[in-house]
Amino acid sequence: MPALTLDRLEKHYPGPTAHTAAKSVSLSVHDGEFISLLGPSGCGKTTVLRMVAGLIEPTGGRILVDGRDITALPTNKRNIGLVFQSYALFPHMSVFENVAFGLRRQGVQGHELKRRVDQALADVRLSALGDRMPRQLSGGQQQRVAVARSIAPRPSILLFDEPLSNLDASLRDEMQIELKRLQREVGITTLFVTHDQGEAMSMSDRVCVLAHGVVQQFDTPEAIYHRPATGFVASFIGRPNRLAGRVARTPSGGAGVQLDDGPVLAASGADGLAPGSPVDVVIRQEDICFGETPSSHAHALSGRVAMRSFVGARVQYLLSFDGIELLAEAATNGPHAGLSVDAPARVSIDPRHVYVTPAAPAGVRAAP
Amino acid sequence: MTARKANGALLASPLLLLLLLAFVAPVLLMVPLSLHPYEPGTGISSAWTLSNYTSIVTDEYYREVVVRTLVLGFGVTLICLLMGYPLACYIATAGPKMRLALTMLVIFPMLLNLVVRSFGWIALLANRGLVNNLLIDMGLIERPIKMMFNLFGLLVGMSHIFLPFMVLMLVPAIQAISKDVQAAAYTLAASRLRVFWSVTLPMSAPGILSGSILVFVLTISALVTPRMLGGPTYKVMATLIYDDFLQTLDWPAGAAMSFTLTLLTLAVIGLSSRVLKRWGGHA
Repeated sequence: MPALTLDRLEKHYPGPTAHTAAKSVSLSVHDGEFISLLGPSGCGKTTVLRMVAGLIEPTGGRILVDGRDITALPTNKRNIGLVFQSYALFPHMSVFENVAFGLRRQGVQGHELKRRVDQALADVRLSALGDRMPRQLSGGQQQRVAVARSIAPRPSILLFDEPLSNLDASLRDEMQIELKRLQREVGITTLFVTHDQGEAMSMSDRVCVLAHGVVQQFDTPEAIYHRPATGFVASFIGRPNRLAGRVARTPSGGAGVQLDDGPVLAASGADGLAPGSPVDVVIRQEDICFGETPSSHAHALSGRVAMRSFVGARVQYLLSFDGIELLAEAATNGPHAGLSVDAPARVSIDPRHVYVTPAAPAGVRAAP
Repeated sequence: MTARKANGALLASPLLLLLLLAFVAPVLLMVPLSLHPYEPGTGISSAWTLSNYTSIVTDEYYREVVVRTLVLGFGVTLICLLMGYPLACYIATAGPKMRLALTMLVIFPMLLNLVVRSFGWIALLANRGLVNNLLIDMGLIERPIKMMFNLFGLLVGMSHIFLPFMVLMLVPAIQAISKDVQAAAYTLAASRLRVFWSVTLPMSAPGILSGSILVFVLTISALVTPRMLGGPTYKVMATLIYDDFLQTLDWPAGAAMSFTLTLLTLAVIGLSSRVLKRWGGHA
């Protein structure tokens, strides 16, 4: 039985600014699984999370935990843990009392209370700080206390609402690893909301990509990256070039796309689409290979370097081919790092890495 | 002194100068005044004495007035807090339109002159006032209940007059409480009552503190309303000081009483802020 099931969950806001924040969201999460809800701001991921927490009332659908329908239960009867972006610690209580708060509500007292609080603080490596007040802690420490507070009562579901967004970059990487490790250790089914694809990919067993309140794809990070189900996913994950074109045939007769104001490109994804129909084309920067054709069916393009920028581990080029421009990258210590501006550039693109989807109506595109 | 501090001192100096000359200096002049005895008939003598202060403690009448003033101060503060907090909660969580309307309604009585508002209470609470007449006409009572010139009348009138101050101090404090923190308490299985008692109330401690201090200080130093609703006989410290200076001309006793009132105020403010800060976790 799945630990958490969202069954056609809906949230519609009526009124003059009527909009649907979640459209028929269905998910099934296994026990102990780490799931990320990934999407741009306004995609409905936080709405879904808050509906699971009971802080927002859904306008349709059901939420089941271990097969039990909790849709109508108030937040304080759901046995969930929620970690907020703002930490939301009780500022007037010590670290110990913050962590003890949920346990006390369960009637845990005395030695058992102290043992469980100490255990939770040890889990987040803050054993020595029980007597401190939250304002005496750094942002990272406060976030750890928030995590300890939510895991101490042993919730059936752990929810994270962009918990790392307020931390600086190096601390964020450290916390990603720690949270993942901790989640493995305590084994609580986890729903993690983020807009950061790196965070979602590195931490999750499965990622659910949301856009405009609709589930775009729910799969493993590898599948999301290598086999994007929709144009939105292709353009949201990785570092994409977004182009427009029409379905056409390559000179050799294979499936391809005629890029607007540009060349014809072999694209296996165009197979089966009506010739001449408008399509959105996504080519990831990391899928553009410099130099000679690595495989027989890759499509070679010749152009020149329009711009070069050094980004550290890689060099980013803006390449221009008859009428179109593509961003591409090469490893700094590789053979193609030294191309200068206006130098000729030969690249090849595997037709399987040219993601083609029927042109989306205006408004249903990934935010840049 | 840094340039920034010098700048600040310079900018504050006009007001500082005015306060020194018109406020601090006269107050300091009252210190020696309070240490001379007052002889009825002859006036202030040049001898030195502490009797003006000791009599506040030993004299039964003075003691009663001091206790009455403190009871009134704490009573009005408590009533304002109990009546103002739920209202402030409602205003703080209401939509923007409702919030504006309610805030206007809270401020509205303050636009009316204090004397007029106090007269309003006389019209209501007097022996032949609206309330007594109504109760007699309904046959609930035979003779009018005394509701003026006693503690009840002062509590009612002054709570009404100072309630807006309490509400106006509480609303921003309650609004400042993060919704996430309350939501976090709910996710940790806390009931609504528990969230209010353990989270909302202690986190609004700064507002409770500033509102209570303001109402307490305004109450124990109020002159007009106690004079009108308390009459010439039911006195508090402020009306006693007024009478000492302007009626009996016993300036030394009035000065001593003034300093006692000031010290009491400071002591209560200091004590209450320490207690509330510890409770609200701001210590």
